[in-house]
Amino acid sequence: MILVVLEHDGARLRKGALEAVTRARQLSALGGVSGVVIGENLTSVAEEARRYVDTVYVAEVGAYTAEKWAAAAYAAAQKAGAKVVIASGGRQSRSWTPRLAYRLGAGLLEDTLETSTDGSRVIASRYSFLNRVTEKQAASLPVVITAKPNTTPLAEPQGEGSVEDLSVELPPAQVEVLERVTEQKKGVSLTEATVVVTGGRGLGSPEAFAGVEELADLLGGAVGATRAVVDAGWRPYGEQVGQTGKTVQPGVYIALAVSGAVQHQAGMNKSKYIVAVNKDAEAPIFKIADYGIVGDVHQVLPALIEATKKLRD
Amino acid sequence: MKFVAVIRQVPDSESRLKIDAGRVDLSSATLILDQMDEYAVEEVIRLQEKHGGESVIVALGPERFEEAVRTALAMGADRAIHLVQEGYLDPITQAEALAEVLRAEAPDVVLTGGQQADWDSQALGPAIAEALGWPVVTWTTALEIEDGWAKARHDLDEGAEVVRLSLPAVFTTQQGLNEPRYPTLPGIMKAKKKEIRKAPTAAASKVEVLEQSIQERARLGKLLDGTKDPQAAASELIRLLHEEAKVI
Repeated sequence: MILVVLEHDGARLRKGALEAVTRARQLSALGGVSGVVIGENLTSVAEEARRYVDTVYVAEVGAYTAEKWAAAAYAAAQKAGAKVVIASGGRQSRSWTPRLAYRLGAGLLEDTLETSTDGSRVIASRYSFLNRVTEKQAASLPVVITAKPNTTPLAEPQGEGSVEDLSVELPPAQVEVLERVTEQKKGVSLTEATVVVTGGRGLGSPEAFAGVEELADLLGGAVGATRAVVDAGWRPYGEQVGQTGKTVQPGVYIALAVSGAVQHQAGMNKSKYIVAVNKDAEAPIFKIADYGIVGDVHQVLPALIEATKKLRD
Repeated sequence: MKFVAVIRQVPDSESRLKIDAGRVDLSSATLILDQMDEYAVEEVIRLQEKHGGESVIVALGPERFEEAVRTALAMGADRAIHLVQEGYLDPITQAEALAEVLRAEAPDVVLTGGQQADWDSQALGPAIAEALGWPVVTWTTALEIEDGWAKARHDLDEGAEVVRLSLPAVFTTQQGLNEPRYPTLPGIMKAKKKEIRKAPTAAASKVEVLEQSIQERARLGKLLDGTKDPQAAASELIRLLHEEAKVI
């Protein structure tokens, strides 16, 4: 049996959950597919989830903590007799899946791009060495897998599964949340966006990001930022792309006034197309760019916005 | 109090990677203390400076890791334990082996990097916490301890959180936690005399690396001159993205 931990936003399943269901179906040689939804007020998500899996386990455990999620996923895996557990690969799930893997005595395949099976093992591909290397890994069952977002087609619904409440033995709470600062994002999330427009320090001021936002909006994309920009306090950490920020892999990545340090490249070098605008023709970003404009971003960015508007008309 | 940093040695991100017989060959790469682990070393030294007690470095990896261990000692940590293991060992199994040492050391705080620069894994800290039955805070950007408690700020997928938890606990690092110090010459001299206790490990990896490759995607490299007529360059770029690449 395969168990999918279905991520949701409280109302709907997230795209990553539907990607994880597709991954589970690809491993159908290892068994049927069950799911678990974890959190609070799960009735509507469970209704949606049952259309994708044979059985949905509902674990009402309250607000997120890594310990609770690991405990709930563990209880669901035990109940389902699952030898394979799949979750989508955000930073949150990457902090509780190691706990789950340890508890199950399972191998952990992190942030995988593709998964297949030879009947007894799961074989996965993933990036390593700061996204510079592609590697193939294999693990015998039991195994816990996280699927890198944006790598897998979304699953289609396929019927009416059953819904079952799951009782979870929760460990005493070890971590108390004193304050949570959620960055209110409008539009698409950075890791799921098909277009990412990133601004670098060369923009000169936080105000210049108005143009970055406008271009991202016009293209239906998300705004990214470099570490230098985030360190300077111009943009929130949640927008940071790179080794210590997020890894993105959009259809097109537009880097505005970004020099292209290796640490930044680690977060975006797998984008399908890379576009760079920089006044320095020798900037490292041009070495990995598909298209680029050598020029002053303060002149080129407004022109890009104008040209995009024309295209849209 | 006792503070432990769990560290690894990785190739410098600027280093050129080679592939030999389907494996990354590090023989010509510059190897360094993982920069995310450097934050961990700096933090344990600062905690010790503030609260007294002892700062200990723990490493699990091949013989060559000793260089990174010496760097951490030269930064100011008191002593080190090095579990020697050649070849790949998955983070869950590593955590199991490290937990044994950590249980014996009984530290108040364990710190390690948020993501490893070679395996791109984020699992070691959380897996160690599970093995010890301790709480974990990932991607920590601020840490204060007092009377058996810790208050920490850490990054989430979107946003950040301030949490309070009782010690002992595991923390994984994020940039911004501190500015790691450079080893000084006296520090390097002193580090030569500091204790590194070595022990073999006999753990077997649950995950096997079958093959590694570098596929540099050939980029188009089409550059337009936007210095004289930015409008024309911008229009041409948008046209290319729409008609040729078909991504907008």
